[in-house]
Amino acid sequence: MSASRRRFLQCAAAAGVLLSSRPVSVGAQSLGRNRGTLKAVMQADLRSFDPVWTTATITGSHAALVYDTLFGLDEQLAPQPQMVSRYGLSDDKLTYTFELRDGLRFSDGSPVTSADCVASMRRWAARDLAGQLLFQSVADTPVKDDRTFQIVLRERYGLVLDTLGKTSNSLWIMRRKEAETDPTQQISEIVGSGPYVFNRNATKMGAIYVYDRNDSYRPREGAPSGTTGAKVAKLDRIVWENMPDEQTAIAALQAGEIDFYETPPIEFIDQLESDHGVKTEVLNKLGNVGFIRLNWLHPPFNNQKAREAMLYVINQTDIMKAAFGNEKYFRTCNSLFGCGTNMENHENVGWFDHGQDLKKAAALFKEAGYDGRPVVILQPTNLALLNTTAQLLAEWLKQAGVNAQLAASDWGGVVARRAVQAPPEQGGWNIFATWNPTSTFASPVSFPGHAANGTKGFIGWPENAEWEAARREWTRAETLSERQEIAKKMQANGWNFVPEILTGQFVAPVAYRANVRGFLSISDLIPFWNVEKT
Amino acid sequence: MLRVIVNRIGSIAVVMLLVALMVFSLIHMAPGDPAAIIAGDNATSEQIASIRDRLGLGNPLPLQFLNWIFAASRGDLGVSIFSGVPVFGLICERLEPTLSLTLITIVIALMIAVTAGVLAAANAGSWIDRAVMALSILGFSAPIFVVGYVLIYVFAIQLKWLPVQGYASLSAGILDWLRHLVLPALSLGLAYVALIARITRTAMLDVLAEDYIRTAKAKGVSPDGILIKHALRNAGIPIVTVVGIGVALLIGGVVITESVFNIPGVGRLVVDAISKRDYPIIQGVTLVFSGVYVLINLMVDLSYGLIDPRIGRR
Repeated sequence: MSASRRRFLQCAAAAGVLLSSRPVSVGAQSLGRNRGTLKAVMQADLRSFDPVWTTATITGSHAALVYDTLFGLDEQLAPQPQMVSRYGLSDDKLTYTFELRDGLRFSDGSPVTSADCVASMRRWAARDLAGQLLFQSVADTPVKDDRTFQIVLRERYGLVLDTLGKTSNSLWIMRRKEAETDPTQQISEIVGSGPYVFNRNATKMGAIYVYDRNDSYRPREGAPSGTTGAKVAKLDRIVWENMPDEQTAIAALQAGEIDFYETPPIEFIDQLESDHGVKTEVLNKLGNVGFIRLNWLHPPFNNQKAREAMLYVINQTDIMKAAFGNEKYFRTCNSLFGCGTNMENHENVGWFDHGQDLKKAAALFKEAGYDGRPVVILQPTNLALLNTTAQLLAEWLKQAGVNAQLAASDWGGVVARRAVQAPPEQGGWNIFATWNPTSTFASPVSFPGHAANGTKGFIGWPENAEWEAARREWTRAETLSERQEIAKKMQANGWNFVPEILTGQFVAPVAYRANVRGFLSISDLIPFWNVEKT
Repeated sequence: MLRVIVNRIGSIAVVMLLVALMVFSLIHMAPGDPAAIIAGDNATSEQIASIRDRLGLGNPLPLQFLNWIFAASRGDLGVSIFSGVPVFGLICERLEPTLSLTLITIVIALMIAVTAGVLAAANAGSWIDRAVMALSILGFSAPIFVVGYVLIYVFAIQLKWLPVQGYASLSAGILDWLRHLVLPALSLGLAYVALIARITRTAMLDVLAEDYIRTAKAKGVSPDGILIKHALRNAGIPIVTVVGIGVALLIGGVVITESVFNIPGVGRLVVDAISKRDYPIIQGVTLVFSGVYVLINLMVDLSYGLIDPRIGRR
């Protein structure tokens, strides 16, 4: 593509007279103090609008405004119908039949049909891990009429509704036109049937993203609970401002130039709490699980004893204290499926009860045949928790006689290097730290890190056949108690082969102006439905 | 003169080609992979590899460079890996805030710095001279973001005179436009003021020691006339030179200032692009910044002939 003369002249005009026909205005004064407009600073820039193409959390929050889901999860994480009015399961438990609510429309006025739902489901299932697992058991998805469609299973699958309603990487219903886009390509139009409409004309990529109330949206009846119930758009407009500088965002919030800040740094929370014009609140009560991945492909962590040694290297309290300070924002956790979740259990946690023991770790490394080679820890210097974790880990490993070496870069550098399967001396790695929302971590199948299928799986590439068989068994279980029993069995095995090392569980408060209310407590995304300014 | 201009334009093309090569090489040597960022935190190595192939990032680097430079020579800077929006359009969209900030900064800085430099030279050794020099050291030493945060705290949070952040388009009203630019321009301009003030003082002191100044004094020209008409004009070349060189300082500063004050300009565009390794944007913006810098220095060179007609005749 070459720059046309017209485009060049437009650019020259902007350069020459600074009088653009469309105002580029960001900030309190320019956007006005309309009570119906809420200005929010989110956790990151909205890099992509397609929730299938990317798994970025920010894109999930965007999708929650624009699109709706067939099912949602209530506050007890139980699936409840959302766009679906009625559903049924055949006696052989192989055919689910869904009927859409009456009057559902996309923001362009077209009705939401079964064909839209099936196309959306198939595109999502081509990319999402839980969707892929579900569709391994799906034989067909016939459309019965405009409002009725089915999921026909080959074999029983106990998690159909949970998967359709999950809150991370959710199944968002798009028009068939967009849903038929190749899942590896981004959709070009953003038209949903959610409570808000994306305003592309008012949006400035990388600067502000604008959502207007969808007047044709018909909320479900019933009190909101999790991502279920009534999603009422009470604001005329929501503006997301991309404000990467934390200090500026804090100042803007205190000055009333923005109304909501998703990720205020913990060190500013006391300052914000002392400001009567600002409130702080933990919306994601389950929070996030911090963990360390070990590279199973290369020494020393291709040896189980070395992985076991790592259990005695870690001191979760020290890591969490160093990163968060205030104990009300973190806890220690020994459950492979997160703490406070349905799958939390305490099988085979002798290592946790024993606590940090660097001498024992040194002995285990020796048993593993560790030969003093460098152990490369990826250190993302721009993320406080992970930077702190890497530094503490390096120090502890040195004390345990391991030649730990930090490889510093920004997070962008870490995500590229951690995917490299080559040995550490050839650009690979041995250890990196990260975190994941606890709600996803709780599921043996939704969180890709819970796969132990070798190099085809998540980074770190653990491999354990017994674990994989238990994961499949978990998906077939039909009751919560059955799944809990399987989770116990998995954990008993898990802490033997050590797929990852936990570094603690933490929550992060959001901050907003005192005249804003109505935020719902949901994991994985920030919902703006039901939010209003008084 | 025409030959000089033609020669300089020819050298600009060579410089730009070298800049393009360096930018491309440095970006691809730096750790990071847009495919890994696109794939998300929970992606497998296979998924990342598939995205890399789709984006053409697996092609040999020389081939990628040739494709890019060939397209760029036709004005096509490519499209953003993440948004799919043409880079040229993104830069145009972000040009107004950056140009506003830069121009306001240059105007404010020149007014303050030249006046301060002339005053310091005219009162060499006095408290005025020492104060100007002390302030210029402070201006040089204080990082832009520190100055920015202090200004925000004092004028936006405490006094509530000016907004904390943001940008208002000129088309939305000149007062609002100015209100949003005052603090960023002061933060950005402090080092620039310091640089120009020091050079102005030094150049003025050199000129004031010349024989023709003594002659002018002997002829009874007023002190103001000597300073403005005789000394300042003859001190113009080093001042104009440092103004041109200082544009590089401003370009670097714009990137930080736009982040601190949340101004949606070209600087912010490139910072965001770096964090997500959006190569086409990084390459495009760096090329444009380099082009602007080279052009400004060409204009500075050409302006010598206007300031000193003897240079134009050579």
